[in-house]
Amino acid sequence: MKLLQLLLLAPAFAAAQSYVGGDACRTCHGDIWADFYKNPHYINVASGKLPPEKTGCESCHGPGSLHVASHGATPIPRAFSKMPPQEVLADCLACHSKTLSRANIRRSAHTEAGVVCNNCHSIHKSTAPRFLLAKIQRELCYGCHAEVRAQFDLPVKHRVNEGVIDCTDCHNPHGAFAPTWRNGIRPRMVDQRLFDEEPCLKCHVDKRGPFVFEHAAVRIGGCEACHTPHGSSNPQLLRRPVTYTLCLECHNGAGAFGLQNSGVPMQTALHNLLLPQFQHCTMCHVRIHGSNADANFLR
Amino acid sequence: MIAAQKIAPALVFLLWIPASAQPAVAPASGESAGPAAGENAGEYNIVQNWELGYRFATAGGDVQKYDADVNYHNGVRLFSGFLSVHSRTGRGAWFDEIVLTASGLGNDPYESAVLRIRKSRLYQYDLQWRQNDYFDPGLVTSAGYHVENFTRRWQDHNLVLFPQSKLRLIAGYGRNSENGPALSSEDLFEGESGNVFALFSNVHRLFNDYRIGGEAEFSGIKLSVMRRWEFYAEQDSPQTLAPGGAAGFVPGLTTLGGFNRAQPVHGTTPAWMAALLADRKKFAVNGRFTYSKAKDNFLLDEAAAGSGLIGAENRLVMTYGNAERPMTTGDLNVSYFPWDRLTITNNTSYSNTRISGNSFFEEIDLATLSADILNFQFLGIRLLTNSTDARYRVSRRFDFFAGYRYSDRQIRSIQSVTTPGAPFTNTAYSQYDHVQAGAAGFNWILAAPLRLHAEAEIGRSDNPFDPIAEKNYHSIDARLQYRRKSLAASAGYRQNYNNNSTVLTAYSAHARDSFANLSWAARDWLAFDAGYQHLHLDTAGGIAFFAGLPRQRLQTGESIYVSNIHAGNFGLRLALGKRADLYLGYSITRDPGDGRSSLLAPGSVPAALYNVQTFPLSFQSPLARLTVPIMSRLKWNAGYQYYGYREDFGLLGNLENYRANTGYTSLLWSF
Repeated sequence: MKLLQLLLLAPAFAAAQSYVGGDACRTCHGDIWADFYKNPHYINVASGKLPPEKTGCESCHGPGSLHVASHGATPIPRAFSKMPPQEVLADCLACHSKTLSRANIRRSAHTEAGVVCNNCHSIHKSTAPRFLLAKIQRELCYGCHAEVRAQFDLPVKHRVNEGVIDCTDCHNPHGAFAPTWRNGIRPRMVDQRLFDEEPCLKCHVDKRGPFVFEHAAVRIGGCEACHTPHGSSNPQLLRRPVTYTLCLECHNGAGAFGLQNSGVPMQTALHNLLLPQFQHCTMCHVRIHGSNADANFLR
Repeated sequence: MIAAQKIAPALVFLLWIPASAQPAVAPASGESAGPAAGENAGEYNIVQNWELGYRFATAGGDVQKYDADVNYHNGVRLFSGFLSVHSRTGRGAWFDEIVLTASGLGNDPYESAVLRIRKSRLYQYDLQWRQNDYFDPGLVTSAGYHVENFTRRWQDHNLVLFPQSKLRLIAGYGRNSENGPALSSEDLFEGESGNVFALFSNVHRLFNDYRIGGEAEFSGIKLSVMRRWEFYAEQDSPQTLAPGGAAGFVPGLTTLGGFNRAQPVHGTTPAWMAALLADRKKFAVNGRFTYSKAKDNFLLDEAAAGSGLIGAENRLVMTYGNAERPMTTGDLNVSYFPWDRLTITNNTSYSNTRISGNSFFEEIDLATLSADILNFQFLGIRLLTNSTDARYRVSRRFDFFAGYRYSDRQIRSIQSVTTPGAPFTNTAYSQYDHVQAGAAGFNWILAAPLRLHAEAEIGRSDNPFDPIAEKNYHSIDARLQYRRKSLAASAGYRQNYNNNSTVLTAYSAHARDSFANLSWAARDWLAFDAGYQHLHLDTAGGIAFFAGLPRQRLQTGESIYVSNIHAGNFGLRLALGKRADLYLGYSITRDPGDGRSSLLAPGSVPAALYNVQTFPLSFQSPLARLTVPIMSRLKWNAGYQYYGYREDFGLLGNLENYRANTGYTSLLWSF
């Protein structure tokens, strides 16, 4: 019976759904309209030349004739807060898809987790100065990634809470290209900077090289082979409190690891771990990220 | 409209709550002293707020550690600045929008400014500027050497012409500079004593990035092309003997009378990027191609003189050469939407990095040429990955996804050395690693405000590069969120396990994170948020090393590391009528480690391993902030924050404990 009703009413419903223009919306939604000129989407309104389906409220929310006629009792066709995530994404990408920074949005970890545009962006009530973010960026990210907030509260950390670094300096919330380091599969949301490199190197340019003597682990495994990028209890954001355990966990000569498939070279018999000078590997191996002068990174 | 005006202050209040829960003593961004809607001036609307004040800080204990972790000091600051100018018609004569935000200007260790100027359809200009005073004390990782106290400045300018047209032009400039004093170290006359000396170094690094490009759209396809040129220079980094460093790290063996080193590096990286993007109703395709060719030219000129066991020592070292890194990447994404409910995305990525270089090395000891060699090294990394992900929406409340990922990595290397004029003895090595991984997850809206997400990934690598790399790994991630207008709560669990067996022993890493958060705006005048996070990590790996007294011998053992971080944060905001706003916050991080109460006496192999298995410490920071409106456009603020850092043991050779009282008083002014 319901199906029959729908079939009978469908043509009438479709005919009734027409564009009424933004003036009708302003009558009731004056609070949204009052400062809409500050919104980047206002550009289509300002031109005054576009048809209603491509400008103003109805370009996103759909034709509003029924909504207006019913004095708001009939919901607008596209109420984003009530739409499933995939529909929100599809609607926004209708205009915003052809941007390189969003090239991976359909396979991004956020999209797969149901986190889409309006989870982070607030079109009408943005409190951030740029990108229509619902909140300042770090608080937006901490809202879901509370464990990351704890890392930035550690004594040694990148200065995200202090405002000198943003999450998006390293991450692309819209999805990143496959990393050119590690095994190319993980991490999934870490952006590439300078076109094709690990984002750390954008700021830490002295570690970028190229070096004649590369520390292969840095280039292959990435910076996080030795560092925890968000925050750490350990100095220098290292994964271990002291360097000798950090280094020796790889440099143990075991297995078929390393460049020569015969184990990552272990220290020479010259070293004595019980003497202080040999417990601080980087005291001598000062160019541990790569050197042009010494194969053992001594200068 | 009237209702909206009543709601607006409450809304601003609600949105301000999380922003205020910051650990650093700095005013929350977005606070306003004037009318939130701004004021009209001609066809423009202007909103602006400026907060100027004085910051004070006193620190006791290990002040160097305080500077490394916090680094706030006394002085007058522009704590925050906000200016927005918007055309009310969207048709301004010269611009439609200017937005400027700034914080910490005036010598705070963390300063930033962001500016956007936009004229619709004609241009858009973006500027980001940041400065970070970076202090790195003589860290235990280098036995107290490697002090760095420099300033890093970033700036990036980006100009887009005709931003809304089908043909856009883009130009940009970025600059990253580091300047300041530092200490480094040098291992000299190692044949005799293996002695290490502290060297003064003047850090001066400069990175410039110029870029120009364009985007064109035709037949629903967008072509994007960018050309960039990057220049890097360690302009001049003379390293000389540091005061007091002549005796060396190992007392009494070798002394250094004089040392000087110049080590300039100049590099260039020209690069290309091209991308195509197309979107249709049933599919979307995009691809990207990049090519860059980095090249560094270097020179090292070093002279050292001193005395060692054999008497007078002097050494001249000259090294020069260049290194290159051509790098090619290609990415192709194809998304297919056979039905509204189904999305299938396939990604193929390729990258090829080839790093090679020559390094000519000449060493003269006591006026005698002792080394005259030419090094050549090559490292090639080729990575091919493919992934396919499918996402299906079962209903408006439930969807799931599944994916399969594959990667194929080849690593090649050549390490060669010769004397000038003789042929290289090239020995090339090659290896392959294949990774296969599967992932799946779902999103379930249990009720309108309650949402559950869970996903898992499992992967296998057949030839990881090193003993700690991912081999047999899996991850689990689950989050539960509840969100109402005035109440938000969430809880989650995340697990990352990796097992990488070696001949020596098995390496394993277990990371487990869990968290719970609650934010509640109970009344217009009362709101709070609280959170608890637990970050656990335990790893075990085999190590081999030389140690022993009086003579070292080969030893093997197990390197264990346990971190058990409990972190909590709490914030309470109280509006005392219209007279004042009070914010109280507290954050604490406590790592009890593995629960041990003492360390072993140093000097033995078991102690060298046992004592560094965990790093128990605590870091806490209570804060308070009071805001009092003085006039309609003027507010007075005062803030206080305490930092307390305490290590349970002097694990790193000494206790780096510190405590600091910091705060500020300021005026927030809108004129």
